[in-house]
Order: sequence, then C-alpha cells, then structure tokens
Amino acid sequence: MTTRSAIRLCAWLPALVLATVASSTPALAALGGDVSSVQKDRARFKASLQLSPTAHYSVHELRAPTGTLIREYVTGNGRVFGVTWQGPWRPDLRQLLGPYFADFQQAANAKRTGRNGPLSSRSSRLVIEMSGHPRAFQGRAYVPELVPAEVAEDEIQ
Amino acid sequence: MTSPRERRVLTAVLSIIAVAGCGGSDGANAGNNGIAPPDGANVVPIVVDSGPRGANGAPVGYVNGAFVTITVCIPGTANCQAIDHVLVDTGSSGLRLLANDGRAGGELSLQLPPLQDVGKNAVAECFQFVDGFTWGQVQLADVRVGGEMASGIAIQVIGEAAYPVPGQCLGVGNDEDTLEGASGLLANGILGVGLFVQDCGPACATDPAVAGSGNPGLYFACSSSASGGCVETSLPTAAQVSNPVSRFATDDNGVIVELPPVLAAGAATASGSLVFGIGTRSNNGLGNAVVIPVDDRGTFTTLFPGQGTRYPVSFIDSGSNGIYFLSSAVTGIPTCTGGSGIDSFYCPPSPLTLSAANQGAAGTPTVPVTFSIANAKALFDSNGAAFSNLGGQSVGSSSAHLPAAFDWGLPFFFGRNVFTAIEGAATPGGAGPYVAY
Repeated sequence: MTTRSAIRLCAWLPALVLATVASSTPALAALGGDVSSVQKDRARFKASLQLSPTAHYSVHELRAPTGTLIREYVTGNGRVFGVTWQGPWRPDLRQLLGPYFADFQQAANAKRTGRNGPLSSRSSRLVIEMSGHPRAFQGRAYVPELVPAEVAEDEIQ
Repeated sequence: MTSPRERRVLTAVLSIIAVAGCGGSDGANAGNNGIAPPDGANVVPIVVDSGPRGANGAPVGYVNGAFVTITVCIPGTANCQAIDHVLVDTGSSGLRLLANDGRAGGELSLQLPPLQDVGKNAVAECFQFVDGFTWGQVQLADVRVGGEMASGIAIQVIGEAAYPVPGQCLGVGNDEDTLEGASGLLANGILGVGLFVQDCGPACATDPAVAGSGNPGLYFACSSSASGGCVETSLPTAAQVSNPVSRFATDDNGVIVELPPVLAAGAATASGSLVFGIGTRSNNGLGNAVVIPVDDRGTFTTLFPGQGTRYPVSFIDSGSNGIYFLSSAVTGIPTCTGGSGIDSFYCPPSPLTLSAANQGAAGTPTVPVTFSIANAKALFDSNGAAFSNLGGQSVGSSSAHLPAAFDWGLPFFFGRNVFTAIEGAATPGGAGPYVAY
C-alpha cells in the first residue's frame, strides 16, 4: 500500500556533532543553499544539532527548545535539497525555505478553498506539504531537481 | 449595522430568549436521526452555508464551513455587537474576530479594551493555522454564545492596523488577516472550541529572552507602530487567548457539534447545533458515543485501510473543510485535474466508501469509522456548501519520522454528534482532553 524506500532509517549511522554557533549575522537560506546555511538555521532556531550520514546524503537534525524538530537533507556535495518540520508550532519558513518561500506562498494562495485544509502542492521547482493544527504541525518541502537520483522522495521525512 | 442602542436592546431581548429557553430535551443523538434539535441556554444554532457576504454582496463561497453567531461586549457593560458567520473550530482554542477596518473586511467595529502588559504595552499575537497566520491585538471582551457567557476573556482582533506584522510572523506562513482574497478567512471570525484551555499554554508564559526558553514567540509586546515596535514577549496562561467554553460559568467542560446527514450530492445549506457542556444537562449526555483520549498535542491514531497501517497525529477538526489524508500515491485514489487549485483534492470516478478506525492515543479504544469520498470537482461544480464526502491529499509520507495524519474535517461531522472535551475538565466520560463520537 505504501511506497517505502529501500534505504531505511535503521541504516543510518548517527553521530553527534559538537557544533558552535556560527554567527549572528543575517541568516541565509537553507533549502537550496549550501551546508553552511544549516548552521545559520541552527542559530536562528536556537537548536541542538545532530548529524546522520547515509550513503547518498546526510541529515542534519535541529531540535529547537520549542519542541519543534527540523530535518535538513544535504547532498554529498553540500546542497540542502529537502527540509521537514514537526512540532507544536511552525519554524520560520522564510528562513527554512529561503528562495522557495515565495513558491510556498503562491502554492498556499492557489488552494481552491483558501485556508481550510492542508497544503499539498507539487511543481517542478518545489514540492511542499503542510498539515496539522495548533500544537501539532508538520510539513516537508523539497526541490525535485536537487534530490539525488538514488534517493526516493519518501526518504525526505 | 446596528447602533449601540439598538444593540443593547437586541442583547437584552436575546438574553430573555436565552433564559426562557432552558427546557432542554435529550438531543444528544439528534444529529443522527433527525429528531428535534436540542434547545436550552447551552445550545446555539449552527448553519453550514456559503459564508458571509463579501464586498460584492454575494456570499464568499465557503465550502463546508460551520458557522454560529456570537455576541461580544465591552466587559461588564451592555455595549455589545453580534457577529455572524463565526467559524466553529474544534481544531483550535480561542476566539478570533476580523476587524471592520476596511482592509480586513470583517464585522467587528466595537472598540474593545486592549490587553496590556505590566509596562502598558499593547499585547498582540501571531497565531498559526495550517499554512498561514492571523495577526492582531489581544483585546478583552465578554463573549456570549447562546445563553452562555465568558466574562472578560482575551480574544484576538485580527487585521486591525495599529501595528504592522512583525517579520517573525511573516515567516510562518501566509497572511490570513482579511475576509476575502487568496488566503482570506472567508469568515468573520473563528470560534476555537477545541481541546485546550489556552491557545498556546505554558510555553508562551516562559521568558523568550532566557536561553533554552521554549517560548514559540506567538505573543508580542507592542510599544510603537513603527517597524520593530512589537517584540516577542511572555504572557501568563491566565491572560492568554482562551477557549471561551472553558471560561463559561457552567457547561464549561467541552462541546458537541451536532450536524444532520446530508445527501451524497451535497446540500446548499445544513442546520445543526453547537451544544455546550458534556453530561452537564439532560441535552448533552455522551449517550452511545465512545471516548477517544488524545495526547497533549490533541492527536490520536487512525488505522487505514480498515485496521491496517497506523497514522499517528490524526485529529478531528470542524475547522477543516474536508477529510484530508495521505496522497494519491499511497491511497491510489486519483486527484482532480483541470486546475482552479483543486488538484490536491480526490476525484474518484465514482464515490468510494472507505473504512478506517480511530484509536485512542494510548492504544485504546479502537473505534471503526466508515467514510465516503466523492469526486471533488463534481461537488464544487454543484455550487453546494455542505458535503459529507469531500476529501483530499495531506502530508503523504507514512514514515515514523514525519508521521502522516488523518485530518477528519467537517464531512466527518455530518450525521454524527462529535464531542470535544477540554484538557483537565471532568466529564462523565473521564477527564479531557478527548474526542468522542
């Protein structure tokens, strides 16, 4: 019934990265940006960071004190190709989606029935899904053209 | 629009009607069998229709919106205003009303006193919905719904222009501070009668300046209307925007949404009841409804299909206008084509009857549910407003890390009495939070 990927989470090799807060300079985008932007997100969200490498990408997991969990999926050559979030409240999506924030806004505005249901939008530039209600939100976004060929889209979770 | 004097008279009349209506019948299952709706001071009519009138004089075209009329008053006075087409939302907590300030296009023109912090700064809020936010000042009101009143509670007045939207707020989604427009509310307000006492809770009472604070930054202290004049702040739970039901003098432990069945082709309107209290009177007993406890996020587990795959973080939400679940890739149900923003809705060639089960957050009970999904394009094209079989895609991943959820929106409510019990409140079915049907 479900389309599950061959590469499973249990294959991950978790490793804790002892990172320092990079800077307090204006943050750059995460999605579509290079791996250094993860550090900017970490600073913005005041989050702890855990890094999980896999064969074709690494997952940078940011846990904010608000209880919101953010995952950023980074290619072997350092591009952020997908982000997910779940928690009681949404993170700053302008920060997390960067140049794709406008694509999100456009997708949300295109919904037939306005604001009254989840967002499920797929374009060649951005796939974005958002669901939930106050105190339990979740979502994911990825850039199809940046997803490595070996990676199933369902792995972005 | 009514003058303040007319409003006072109207309010007085409404109060008399409310007091006179205290008979009460056992209407707990009225939504299922079409017997007379419940009456009493704890009952207010729900209408499902095309929504309030927009700028062109025609209804805004809401689909599956359950609306009530509420009255807000300057606290302790008879200076009141009735607001129609306020959306009944069991998925959030707190009352939010659109201002009548030109841009917002709402009805609220009554000047309510602002909530101020200890430094006399105005308190404003950036509240989050599924892909957008509402921004506006927190103000104080006596909130009357039917014969019930919550005295001097904090509500959010959306769209009043005193303070520009802070940057942090713009980042969490689309601006929903208008009646119409692409991300407009399509309602004059939202009556959040959900599972929680406050809209945010203890997290928003912590100091955001302290390292490691879990404050999500919903509340702001506004010292000026200049850019940057509003900064994230803490707000004690007692002062936060609160579920009005939790602040009623009686019938304060939850609500029942009672809606009749509608035909498979849909209906232009449907009429039901919003009943306050669970087991507090003869008209609001649990009856045969089964209690499904939820976790501290307000979620439970849906099993689908049948009693198959588990989908945690599922929820029942009268403020969602469809049953939203999974994706076409997972369900095999085709989505709609033809644009107009309907391509995330399901469009099966013929109506489907599906089986699922809802399971309490701790694993019990497991309650079967059957539901129907019809062709959304055909439903929209019919120009109806009440559909029991409208559904669409949600977050499609089914993994344990980003769990897929069933969003049981208003279609689920037709032909059922759906109970929402508030966190910590005692009821004959145990303490909230829970849902029951």
